[in-house]
Amino acid sequence: MINLISSPFNPSSPQASSITNLFYVALVISALIFIIVTGSLIYIMVRYRSRPGDGEPKQVLGGKGIEIAWTVVPLLILTFLFAYTVYTMQKADPSPDPYQQPDILVIGHQWWWEVHYPKSGVVTANEVHLPVGKRFLVLLKSADVIHDFWVPQLARKMDTVPGHPNTIWLEADKAGIYLGACSEYCGTQHAWMRIRVVAQPQADFDEWQQEQLRVPATPTVGEEARGAQIFQERTCANCHAIAGTIANGRIGPDLTHIGDRQTIGAGVIENTPSNLAKWLANTQSVKPGSLMPDMRLSDSEVNALVAYLEGLK
Amino acid sequence: MSDEIRSVTGGDELVVPEPTETTSAIWESEGLFGWVSSVDHKQIGIMYLIVTLFFFIVGGIESLLMRIQLAQPNGTFLSPEAYNQIFTMHGTTMIFLVVMPVLIGFANYLVPLMIGARDMAFPRLNALSLWLLVFGGLFLYFSFLTQGGAPAAGWFSYAPLSEKPYSSLTGMDYWAIGLLITGIGTVATAVNLIVTIVALRAPGLTMRRLPLFVWMVLVNSFLIIFALSILNASLVMILADRFLNARFFTPASGGSAILWQHLFWGFGHPEVYIMVLPAFGIMSEVIPVFSRKPIFGYEFVAGSTVAIGLLSFGVWAHHMFTTGMGHTLDGAFGAASMLIAVPTGVKVFNWTATMWGGSIRFTTSMLFAIAFLVQFTVGGLSGVHFAAVPIDWQTTDTYYVVAHFHYVLFGGTAFGIMAGAYYWFPKITGRMLSEGWGKVNFWLMLIGFNLTFFVQHILGLIGMPRRVYTYPNLPYWGILNLVSTVGAFILALSVIVFIWNVIISLRRGKPAGNNPWDAWTLEWATTSPPPAHNFDSVPPVRGRRPLWDLSHPDEADKGGLADG
Amino acid sequence: MVERNRLGVIIFIISEANFFLMLILAYVYFHGESSLTAHRYLEPAKTGINTLILLSSSLTVWLAERELKRGGYRRFCAWLLFTIILGAAFLFGQGVEWSGLIDKNVTISSGLFGTTFFTLTGFHGFHVFVGLVALGILFGLALAGDFKGGKSSAVGAISLYWHFVDVVWIVIFSIVYLGVYI
Repeated sequence: MINLISSPFNPSSPQASSITNLFYVALVISALIFIIVTGSLIYIMVRYRSRPGDGEPKQVLGGKGIEIAWTVVPLLILTFLFAYTVYTMQKADPSPDPYQQPDILVIGHQWWWEVHYPKSGVVTANEVHLPVGKRFLVLLKSADVIHDFWVPQLARKMDTVPGHPNTIWLEADKAGIYLGACSEYCGTQHAWMRIRVVAQPQADFDEWQQEQLRVPATPTVGEEARGAQIFQERTCANCHAIAGTIANGRIGPDLTHIGDRQTIGAGVIENTPSNLAKWLANTQSVKPGSLMPDMRLSDSEVNALVAYLEGLK
Repeated sequence: MSDEIRSVTGGDELVVPEPTETTSAIWESEGLFGWVSSVDHKQIGIMYLIVTLFFFIVGGIESLLMRIQLAQPNGTFLSPEAYNQIFTMHGTTMIFLVVMPVLIGFANYLVPLMIGARDMAFPRLNALSLWLLVFGGLFLYFSFLTQGGAPAAGWFSYAPLSEKPYSSLTGMDYWAIGLLITGIGTVATAVNLIVTIVALRAPGLTMRRLPLFVWMVLVNSFLIIFALSILNASLVMILADRFLNARFFTPASGGSAILWQHLFWGFGHPEVYIMVLPAFGIMSEVIPVFSRKPIFGYEFVAGSTVAIGLLSFGVWAHHMFTTGMGHTLDGAFGAASMLIAVPTGVKVFNWTATMWGGSIRFTTSMLFAIAFLVQFTVGGLSGVHFAAVPIDWQTTDTYYVVAHFHYVLFGGTAFGIMAGAYYWFPKITGRMLSEGWGKVNFWLMLIGFNLTFFVQHILGLIGMPRRVYTYPNLPYWGILNLVSTVGAFILALSVIVFIWNVIISLRRGKPAGNNPWDAWTLEWATTSPPPAHNFDSVPPVRGRRPLWDLSHPDEADKGGLADG
Repeated sequence: MVERNRLGVIIFIISEANFFLMLILAYVYFHGESSLTAHRYLEPAKTGINTLILLSSSLTVWLAERELKRGGYRRFCAWLLFTIILGAAFLFGQGVEWSGLIDKNVTISSGLFGTTFFTLTGFHGFHVFVGLVALGILFGLALAGDFKGGKSSAVGAISLYWHFVDVVWIVIFSIVYLGVYI
């Protein structure tokens, strides 16, 4: 169940909800001020428009009282807003215990997300799975330039800054798929560095974790086997890793369970066999500027690889 | 600080001696060479307006190209490389080659006239600033013709994306060097304006009687001094990184990406006030004249300007709330950012109070000014949202912030510039702009602007990040983007109407006379256009509205009479 | 007229001071990492002598201005020349120091110290050089008899700039060289 309206006004976590509440308060205050200003202007335009025969109006220079009023009143309103802001900062982004180990490590790359679960050993990419109702501490790092991890319904956004690790809490109170995106311009394919957070009931999450830790058997027959062989022979292993094989590259996403993932290329296309074929045949036409080079695969090589990779569940 | 010169007749008027033949020959040399070699502030001011109009059209075309690409999901009109260069150049152009210099152009033309001076303090330096703008702008745009293409790291060039490993071609170098060139010219203009305003005022024009436009330009010039010097330092540092392998901002070799942000926003935040204060000045001139009342609360408008100027140097890190500075710093900068809303609000209230009880003339200029008030308020309110740190944690780097800054910079400053254009075109050219075409211009611009940018608030709030060359087909993203694109074309049409109005009015606009608006500041005390030496004689200045005082001797303003 | 030029140079100096402040802040920002290199390779005593040379050039330019006001035209030219010589000597000393560091592989790209040190002292040196050019032009004009009137806003403005360049050096010397001892 994908939540298609990825909005801070559609929160699904206590952290995001606290921000939504602050936002509502700010909007109400803004609406009032806007109505006062615009209303006054409309009134003025009607009441004080010049009519033929009008002389010069009374030349009023100012009024101390009202100046003080419209300085002090906004100051008081803003003081209240600031107090609520500080309160919300704590609610939305409570400081973690300095010695707490992160539950998830996310490393931003140009233009994909590397995802690790240090406590269990799970490695994946572009998707973060969570059990519902539990908050996880996410450590955010970057392998190259500044990126930003943003899943509006669940949490604040936070930059991944090379040389300056950051943390956020990630928690979902309902099962579902939550959409997010990189939110700091990071180069050519910043637009397609999308995020999916999959929140699942605890049992389903445990099952997923088990699946992720399982080392897939290398196929020995059919197209899958040919695909596995092509994967090893061509230089795929230089950039990608598949557990259970000698492929151990960390430059591109880990492909051990690529068959299970919902999208390819950090969200640019859905993960289907025909889409994967397109990706392998001509990556640059799917995600121009992507750092995956044109591997010059023949159609039959592509088909074999697709069979193999989609089988890696 | 009053001049020693007394008139021959012993009266109050300041008589400016007739220019000698040599002076005339220099001042009034005709033709293209005359313009290119001019050191006259009026000609230089006009050239600023022409150059910035040209770059506005270029920047506008860039925005239309972006909007075509974004009109539908998964667009293929522009490649990501092309789009990224275009959005970088759009922002850089609009900020450095349009908004800042057009306001400087207005200041250049108007300040000497408004203070009863003959020219700026340093006329040759003035010309140098203009040509540095032209050269710097051309240098920046030359990048499009090179193999590396235009810069593509965004107008604020965050490190390490802007460093050699990630921007290995020459675009970034053209960006940094181009801005250094124009930056030097901008600082020179600020020096020029400050010295002009301090040293060249007509007798009787004390600091407390300064027209508010001049006051805002003065404060603005100090902002330029302090902010542009920070930019220049940042640019030399990134050039050192890129050309000499220095390590200021490269985390991989010990440098700091965050340092770039602190330095850049140390410039960047005051910069946005640099882009709005002169427009506030225009409001403060236009609204009183078309309300037939003096500005309400002159001291508070002037004082709040100083407050904004000072505070603007204390809020920069509100652009960095998502970098992980920690809650203490986040909170401190959030508080300062909320605080700066107070003096800004004071101004909006004062302008509104100026209109209250007045006799409002709905000239095109006034329409733009009223629209400014509403739109700037919208932009200012969304700005306060960003000051509430957790809201920023959701909305920064989305279309919500794109909407915010276009509301203040276009809905605010650009509409203010339009108000100023319709107001001062008669003085500059001697002819009135057509009010008929002006109304068409206004309504198209109003509708086009709001259609383009209001929906972007919503796009930001449903998750659309900024600086994306395309986007997935999520609900409402397509339709809202399409509406925004349509709005952009309506906006473009309004600009064409404006240019058309300028062209036909230059040819057959109604002759303006000295003071078509019955306004009160010194620029209206001379011919339209003014002679080369500006004033045959400067009227006596005993208040803030010299021409009002002259025509209403029994009702002269009491404010600003005390010297000091 | 006089007032204008002086005010203009003062405002310009303020903007340049802010520019240097940013370069100094960058130096200080990385001080933690670069202090070891600074400690190892800088020679505050030697540079201290160079500093005295630059400071005395401020004295000589002040003396030049004084002579000009008094009508001592020959002496004015002489002190102006001394100023230029001392300023050039300072730059020479800087060059020697720089080449010493570069010989020991301390360069702008070798580390954070090099990055911030060479940028900061480099821009200071550039400002000294521009000052020398301005002083040189003044000297040339003086030899041609231009300042016989006794007071000159140009001389006043440029000597103000020269004092500024010296003050910046005092700050740099204190933070970069004396800071080594902290």
